[in-house]
Formats: sequence, C-alpha cells, structure tokens
Amino acid sequence: MMKTLFVIFGCCVLLTYATASWFGWELANSGKNSRLGAPFFYGGFRGGK
Amino acid sequence: MSVLKSNCPSCGGPIEFQKGSTIVVVCPYCRSAVSRTDRGLEDLGKVAEIVDSQSPLKIGLKGEFKGHRFELTGRAQNRHELGGVWDEWYATFGNGWVGWLAEAQGKFYLTFYQPLPEGTALPAFESLEIGQQLPEIPNKTTLMVTEKGTATAVAAEGEIPYRLEPNERSNYADLSGKDNAFGTIDYSMNEPWVFIGQQVSLEDIGLASARPVTREAARVSAQGLGCPKCGAPLSLTAPDKTERVTCPFCNSLLDVNQGKLTWLKALTPPQSPPDFSLQIGMDGVFSGVTFRVIGAVVRSVLIDSITYFWHEYLLYNPTIGFRWLVHSDNHWNFVETVNPAEVDATQPYGFGATVSYNGGTFKIFQDAEARVEYVQGEFYWRVEQGERVRAVDYVAAPLMLSQERTANEVNWSVGVYQTNAEIEKAFNLSDLPKPWSVAPNQPFTGGFYIKWGLGFLAALFLIAVVMTVLGGFDKTPLNETVTLPPAASATTPQAAFSQQFELKGNRNVRISAQAPVSNSWADLDVDLVNDQNNEVESVNIPIEYYSGTDSDGSWTEGSQSQDATLSSLPAGKYTLRVEGTWQNFSQPMPVAVKVEQNVSRGVNFCCALVVLAILPLLGIIRKFSFESRRWSESMFGSVSTGSDDDDE
Repeated sequence: MMKTLFVIFGCCVLLTYATASWFGWELANSGKNSRLGAPFFYGGFRGGK
Repeated sequence: MSVLKSNCPSCGGPIEFQKGSTIVVVCPYCRSAVSRTDRGLEDLGKVAEIVDSQSPLKIGLKGEFKGHRFELTGRAQNRHELGGVWDEWYATFGNGWVGWLAEAQGKFYLTFYQPLPEGTALPAFESLEIGQQLPEIPNKTTLMVTEKGTATAVAAEGEIPYRLEPNERSNYADLSGKDNAFGTIDYSMNEPWVFIGQQVSLEDIGLASARPVTREAARVSAQGLGCPKCGAPLSLTAPDKTERVTCPFCNSLLDVNQGKLTWLKALTPPQSPPDFSLQIGMDGVFSGVTFRVIGAVVRSVLIDSITYFWHEYLLYNPTIGFRWLVHSDNHWNFVETVNPAEVDATQPYGFGATVSYNGGTFKIFQDAEARVEYVQGEFYWRVEQGERVRAVDYVAAPLMLSQERTANEVNWSVGVYQTNAEIEKAFNLSDLPKPWSVAPNQPFTGGFYIKWGLGFLAALFLIAVVMTVLGGFDKTPLNETVTLPPAASATTPQAAFSQQFELKGNRNVRISAQAPVSNSWADLDVDLVNDQNNEVESVNIPIEYYSGTDSDGSWTEGSQSQDATLSSLPAGKYTLRVEGTWQNFSQPMPVAVKVEQNVSRGVNFCCALVVLAILPLLGIIRKFSFESRRWSESMFGSVSTGSDDDDE
C-alpha cells in the first residue's frame, strides 16, 4: 500500500513539474516579493494558453 | 558371459544370471550372494534383507538415459560409517553399459566406470583431503572431493555386476563438480576405480512415472515402535532413513537400525528447557510442498566467551527429502543443501573473503565451531549431543551460504530468509516472537523506496533537460529605461509607461528593475497591462541599497536591482506601467526595466528535487544503519551496502 502511494506520489510530482515546465507556470516567486505574503510562494498563476 | 540358470549352492533354489554383466546374484530364497566364476558358482555368504525404504525405484523398472534404454537389475544397500544407508541400483543398458544409480536422501546420481588415462595416479585414500580438486580425473569440469568414508555392504537383491562380499568394508570418496557432475572413487581394489556421472532426476532417466505411485503409498507408512527404555510408543515419519530418534517421555537418545530401536544414552538436559517454537509433527508448506517437522536441535557457538544458541528443525517430505528451518534470534531461514562444487572461492579466506554461488557473491560473516546442545525427534544421521562441526557462514541477503566441515565431509547449504509472517502462514501459526537485531542475511526492505526514488530523480533530470531543449532560450521582449518625474512627497507615487511589447504564451515572465538608489530606497509597483483587454498583472519590486564603513570595514546592504517572476500570461501585446515612490522624491528617478521570458529559475526543479529526494535519502540513511547493525554482529564486520535489497 505504501509502495503504491509512493509511486503515485512520485509520478504526480514529475507530472506536475513537466506540466509546469511546458506551460511556464512558476510555483514560487522570490522571497519577500511573494504576493501571498508568505516567503517564497507566489500566487500569481493565471493559467496557460 | 551369457545367461545362466542354475541352483543356489546354499539352498538349492533356482537362480538365474540374466545379464551378461552380472557377477553376483542374490538368491531370492535364502539371500545368499552367489558369484559365478570360471570354476562354477561360489557362495559368498548371506546378505541382510533390504531395509524397507521409500525408494520409488524397484528391480525391473525400465528407463532411458541419453537415448539408451536400461533396466534396473540389482540393488545393494551400503551403510555409511556415520550412520544411514544408501541404495545403489544397477542399471543394465541394452548396449552393454552398466550404470550405477545411487540414491541418497531423495537425490539420484547416475555414474559409469571411467577408465583413467595411462599413467594416471590418484591420491591414496589416506592422503585425500576434503575440498581437494582432482584435475587428473578426465571430466568436463574439475571434480572436488566432498566426502570420504568407509561403506559396508549390508544388503542386496537381484543381479550385481561386481563381486559383492557381504559386510565387506570399502573406502570411497565422493566427488562433485559443476553442472551437477558427480563421481565416486572406489578404493576397494588395489587400483582405485573411478565412476563418473551426474546428479539426475527421475525425469532425466525416464522414470518419472515411478515417482507418484510408490511415493504416495510410502507417505503414510510411518512405522510405530516402542521405546526400549520406557516402553512409550514412538512413531517414525521416515523409518527407512532415520538413524537416531529421541524418546520424549524418558528423554533418551535411541539408535535406529533396520527398524529396531536401541537405547544409547540419556540426553543431558539443557540448562533451561528449549522453547521450541515448532513442535515435532507439525506440517508446514513451503513453495507448495508440505514438510513435516521430524527433528529439532539446539545448537550453539562460542564467540568471545559468549555462547550463542539457536534452534534448527529438520523437515521431511517423502518426495523432496530433507530440509532445515533455522531459528536464530527469532529470525528464520529455510535451508537446503547445495552441490559443494558449485561454490567457488572468489576472495581468499579472511577478512572480506567471498564465495560465489549460482551467480551471487557471498561475503564471509562468521566462522565458528557449532556444537549440538540438545536434540529432539528423529534424524537421518547419528546425531550426538556435543557433536561439533566447523561452520562458516557467507551472506548475500536474503541468502546465506553455510559450509559445515568435518574431517571427512564438507557440506554446503543455502538458507533463504523467511519473515515471521511467512513462517506463520506456512505452519498456520500466529504470534511468533518478534525478531530482534538484524539477521546476517535479513534483506533490507526499504530498497524499493531507494530504487524508485532514485528512478524518480533520474526522470526529473531527464524531464528538465528535455523541457529546457523544447522551451528554447530566454527572450527579452523589453529592455527600456523609464523615468519617473519628481514627486511632491516620498509617499506620492509617480508613474511612467514603457513601450508596447509582445509576450508569448506558455513562457514565464521575469520583470527586472534597476534604480540608481544609494543609501536610499525606491518602492516600485510594476503593472503588466494587456493592451487587448486591459487586464493587469501587478508585482511589487522594492529596491534599496545602503553602503558605508564601520569598525569592521566597508559594508553594503541591498541592491540597486531587483526582479520578480510570474507564471505565463496569455500571449499578446503588453505595456509596462511603473509606479513608484522613492526616498529622494524631489529628483527624477530613472528606472531600467527589463522583461524576459522563458527564464530558467530552477525553483520548480529544486522544489521537485527536494520533494522527491526525501524518501530515498531517508532510505539510504536507514539502509546504512541497517547494514551497520548487521555487520556489527559479524566476526568479519564491515558495512556493506551491496545490492541485497528485497521487495518485501
């Protein structure tokens, strides 16, 4: 069960990374420039094509 | 010689030498061994009756080996000096060959007389050493001495192709080679005779059909006997193979000889009663084969003045033969013997010594003298309390290769690690005590996470490279300096617009701003205005830069340039609106702005890398700890992180 969950989790991470790379999504913005006020993360995603 | 019909010189009963190769016929009426010579028939004396065994073979069976048909025409039973008998069947081939089909502990070995090249001198029996290679014997693979001993011909039936003298003792050496090669040197003659062949299955010799009928009938033939000491009823599961049995009622060790029990000695009670997890008579299923527990042994080794104990259970299946279950520190191993010739020393004995077997490399773990402390049940050899062998263990989890060596014999066995759950399932048990520490060949069960985790990381790098290539290099749609006019105060914003520029879709956007601040600040709100629909994407870019000197020297803080990165925006024409406040508001503020697309930041990659690396990293740390604990128990301790993972 744990193994299956681990494989699913890993595949999801890879898929998310590949998708973000393809569509130009940024997971994070730099430090204090975060719009959310939280370090690192940026909430400016507007979608792809 | 030809077919000869005559009468037994002892009892007068009719006897017949059917095969030309037959030298001795055992009279079926009086069991005299009758030899034919040039001068007539000679009575060699009486042989004992064949001990009833569960052999699937019988005289008259016809088989085929490598395209040549044969018939089993005779059988002799020899007694091993350490106990136990084995059968030798004589296979008379249609083309005149005579083969020796030896049967011991459920295994079969077919050998043929092998004349040696002129001038070949074999080592004398006394100088023969266990493990010695004998390249002088012509064979595909070099043969190695695995056992030497003295056999006594105790019983026979049918036609025998040599002069069988009842109760004659003869020295022999058993040889093993790779690819199931097998051989025997018979030292009963002045010039030793060599017999070469191989281990065969009944299928190999066309006798597969002999197995089910005979074996099935034998399976239920456990023999009921009484203890000669206390009279308690005893039942033998393998009466034809058992040499020793213990009486659980009076704690006696009994000798078994042709179905008769003889009291040998009272067993020395152990310091504490052995807490056997499995009981004699229990049935367990391994790989679909049901084995019965027929014996249990407490053994020990003395290492650094500390005695370590473990339990071994002898398992028996009439078709398969004997196997062992070893129970140590609540870890379990299912053990079976292997051909010693298949084991090669790849690194000489000592620290880091290794042997190879069946494609695997095994590392030395322990070398100690193992002692039998206590026995219970029945055994196929003459087991004794205090019996000692030198035991050397090599490990390659989940396997353990063990060598047990005495002066006359060397045996190798391979054990496969069994989890408690597997043993509980095999014997339909529950709540077996949990193991402690790490067993020598216990497989590390986190290998899955390491392998898959490293696989994910490799895939991540691959995706990163591919996406970088597919995405192309970064582009700069805008690189311009806009000037904010002087403001009324430091809190009154001023704005300026850039030229129109074009952004492409599916590419991230980085906005960089540079302002000539020095020991001051500028706070910029930069809006990306979509000229088609006037939608605005805003980022804040604060810039501050301070410098000076103090007692530690010069210092700086901040930077005159900052940037912010956005996810991709819809493709189209955009204008940059820069609105800002700055400390020196009375002076115009030139701001160099740059808009780039397809920027490689690596943040996504790093995030994915960290997330994916956590579990394999933890797995590697855990594996290192696991191996450290494993090898801390070894006499040849060193941490090895070899490929011994198991997939649970």
